[in-house]
Amino acid sequence: MNASLSTTRAGVAVQPIRLYFGKGAVAALFLLVTSLITALPSQAANSPQLKLFPTTVLEDIRHTGDVAKEMESGLQELISRLDQQSQLFTESKCEGAEEDPGCTQLQNQLSDTYLEMLDVMDKNLPEMEKAVDSTRNSLQKRLRRELGQKMTPWDLQETLLGTASQQQDVSRPTMRGRSGMRLSDRFSQYYRLVSTNSSNAQQNASLAVIASDIYLDMEETSDLISRTRQEIARATLMGKLNQSFGVITPEMQDVVAGVKSILFGDSANDLPLAAPPVAASPQGYQSPLEM
Amino acid sequence: MNYKICSRPLSTLTKGLIVLVALLGLSACKALPTQSQACTLPGGPDLTSAVGQAKDDLSGVCSYRYDDYFHQLLEIAKGDPKPENRRVFSDFLVWSQQQGLLSKRQAQDYYNRYFNLKFVAMQGDYNNCSSLCPNKKQVLRTMEQELVDKELGLLQISRDRTGYQRADRLLQETELVLEATCSACESEQ
Repeated sequence: MNASLSTTRAGVAVQPIRLYFGKGAVAALFLLVTSLITALPSQAANSPQLKLFPTTVLEDIRHTGDVAKEMESGLQELISRLDQQSQLFTESKCEGAEEDPGCTQLQNQLSDTYLEMLDVMDKNLPEMEKAVDSTRNSLQKRLRRELGQKMTPWDLQETLLGTASQQQDVSRPTMRGRSGMRLSDRFSQYYRLVSTNSSNAQQNASLAVIASDIYLDMEETSDLISRTRQEIARATLMGKLNQSFGVITPEMQDVVAGVKSILFGDSANDLPLAAPPVAASPQGYQSPLEM
Repeated sequence: MNYKICSRPLSTLTKGLIVLVALLGLSACKALPTQSQACTLPGGPDLTSAVGQAKDDLSGVCSYRYDDYFHQLLEIAKGDPKPENRRVFSDFLVWSQQQGLLSKRQAQDYYNRYFNLKFVAMQGDYNNCSSLCPNKKQVLRTMEQELVDKELGLLQISRDRTGYQRADRLLQETELVLEATCSACESEQ
């Protein structure tokens, strides 16, 4: 299979057969949003709340999470099996010894598992695509109404900034949209950051950024899934052909590596650190001219 | 040739006219800046005395160079950055407004462009879908230019690093939110 690389909005090269819903990413997102919603009544109602995450959006996210989880669990077992088979293949020094009956058997097992993996993805992707599209559409409607139609540019700016009196010592979400961080890590960070927010205005600011980030990610993911689905048919055909010839191609290994990176994660330690939380009002002085 | 007119003695009326013209000429000369007050931009390292000179000059005939004076004051303030400078500029702009050199809106724009976290470029009376999104790229470019002015005002003049960082972050957040919001607005069309 020709695993040509494509580039995401975050500038990360990805392979066609790759899903961005690993390690309970959507479940983490659901937790995050739930925590936001449940925390709201206890907080001061100084500023109007943004209705970016109503129950319908939450339901969409939860459903997407369930679908993703199902696919993850199915793939995880297959990935482990592929790892074991691959290790056995290497340890048995089968590379270059394809004529050996034992090695041929191992190759066939590897190809079977590989095709099984593609099959799991093929079965789950349509529902996944539907769920992601539904979440994206719900968020799209909310963003358009709450930020696009109900706010002027100045309102938007003030929402993002929060009110001056409520900005002291409040951590803000990192700009994840272009950070190159994987989706699951991003959602974990959403949760961590937002769960520490203490004011309504600040929460609005975070919600606006988070909703925007999720929406753009969903758009990207939706596009990626549709391209992946197209690719699967081709990959399956190639896998079957390779199986008949008993060859484990580098492309097949790439696909497996790609799926693994989604399930088991990439290190986020080398990402840039978030900027420190800062005071909103410049050094305490307020000019009569300040807008 | 016959120079009769010159040889004729001047009438009282003519004499009076000549004196009047001379006086008018003198008063016109007085309106021009003298050597010491020739709209020379203030120099030296002291912002307070520079502001004093600027006020003197701008109260007179130099008001047409208001922008030059303001930028010269910014340059001088860069040489001695401190948080108090923000107040000096605010007072100067309020004075300018009271003197009629600037409108209130102009004074606000000057101040907020350099010394506030919020972006003057993000103004408008209509909703974002209809006013901001069609000009999103232009607005973001203007905000980037404004961030350079905020770097001067907040960071280089007022030593307000956190304020500048917040403004920088606000620009990034605005970019992200606008990308999503405008995409959502477009999808309706």
